[in-house]
Amino acid sequence: MDFRLDLFIEAIPYLFKGAVITLRLTLISVSIGIFLGLILSLARISKRIVFRYPATLYIEIIRGTPLLMQLLIIYYALPSIGINLPAITAAISGLSLNSAAYVGEIFRGGIQSIEKGQMEAARSLGMTYWQAMRYIILPQAFRRILPPLTNEFASMLKESSLASTLAVSELLRAGRELVAWKANVFSPFIGVTLFYLIMTVPLTRLSVYLEKRLKKGD
Amino acid sequence: MIKVVDLHKKFKNLHVLKGINLEVKKGEVLALIGPSGGGKSTLLRCINRLEEPTSGKIYIDGVLITDPKVDINKIRQKVGMVFQLFNLFPHLSVIDNITLAPIKVKKIKPEEAKEKAFELLKRVGLLDKAYNFPSQLSGGQQQRVAIARALAMEPDIMLFDEPTSSIDPEMTKEVLDVIRQLALEGMTMIIATHEMGFAREVSDWVIFLDQGQIVEQGPPSQIFSSPKEERTISFLSKIL
Repeated sequence: MDFRLDLFIEAIPYLFKGAVITLRLTLISVSIGIFLGLILSLARISKRIVFRYPATLYIEIIRGTPLLMQLLIIYYALPSIGINLPAITAAISGLSLNSAAYVGEIFRGGIQSIEKGQMEAARSLGMTYWQAMRYIILPQAFRRILPPLTNEFASMLKESSLASTLAVSELLRAGRELVAWKANVFSPFIGVTLFYLIMTVPLTRLSVYLEKRLKKGD
Repeated sequence: MIKVVDLHKKFKNLHVLKGINLEVKKGEVLALIGPSGGGKSTLLRCINRLEEPTSGKIYIDGVLITDPKVDINKIRQKVGMVFQLFNLFPHLSVIDNITLAPIKVKKIKPEEAKEKAFELLKRVGLLDKAYNFPSQLSGGQQQRVAIARALAMEPDIMLFDEPTSSIDPEMTKEVLDVIRQLALEGMTMIIATHEMGFAREVSDWVIFLDQGQIVEQGPPSQIFSSPKEERTISFLSKIL
């Protein structure tokens, strides 16, 4: 083991910058993912097959293939059909499109977990399907999916490390660069590990807390 | 006011309603009795099209509501429904449960809707619960809020789907009292119920429904005192 405290301390500001990029990448991607995921979930539970089938197909493809491959396609294969994205845009696109599929399934589970009687009561009062969704179903579903959504955020924090292959200088990439410069493996990587844990552990704790509170509330 | 003609409902190969015909005039109270699974709920749910009838016609106020072109949301505003499991909105306070549909569907001013909601809460005896959440109320209280919520749309017709079946026996009276009061005020109602004493007292007409068919019907005095059909007699002897 080649751990050296001085190199470790020296690495911290540099890794911090990487962690900020990781956090930003994740925040943006999950936000877009939530927006697209909500639309996907609504399409997936739609009675109309023109919405349902494409949404299902999309989710199957995204969830059935590696994120790394998706990122590589966006960054390296799209230019061959004339779409040239800067690394950071390619990374955000890939992560968002990926997150959308997972968030979409989380939303769908949440919506379908709401008792059928809620939709019926809303419709019996003369509300349209969309009014019932907006005022009755989604607010309840959203509360229920907060724990899995928090988990999704935590996994996206980790998976955004794959953006390092697109030369985005996020946390893992920052660590690897330090390894190369300082010819030392352990000191930067222990830093990287700690930074990831500092970000993910509070989230997984939060998720557990939310879940407990939800159990009490319902 | 309500007219049902040769109504059939099938769920896959389960034939739940087999040709129902009935008529309810304005201000009348119809009681639907019969064993569970006999089709009472399905019949009620077809009348506001929570279930799509397989065939047959339903008229409300002369409008053929089984016509796919009809704006069912408009019809439903005129037909209130009360469910066996209350189905209050758990994320909204009592007052919001009552005012939501009037505000969003009927576009009534929030202050006006609220005023009306307080009036209704007073009527069902729950004025002090306006800002509670459904989970803080007993079953009987929740059901009274559900009735107030339906009444807030100022319906012409009220459908009750076994309104006391999931309420503790000692709490059913307060719910039945509210429905009784509605009957006195001349509300047109169809009530599916297992409370035979209540059905007898409050209804103008009773239909005994079994295996998706109307087995027997008549005024309550006749149905409860001198039923003619074998199945009615056996059902009533079991339940009374």
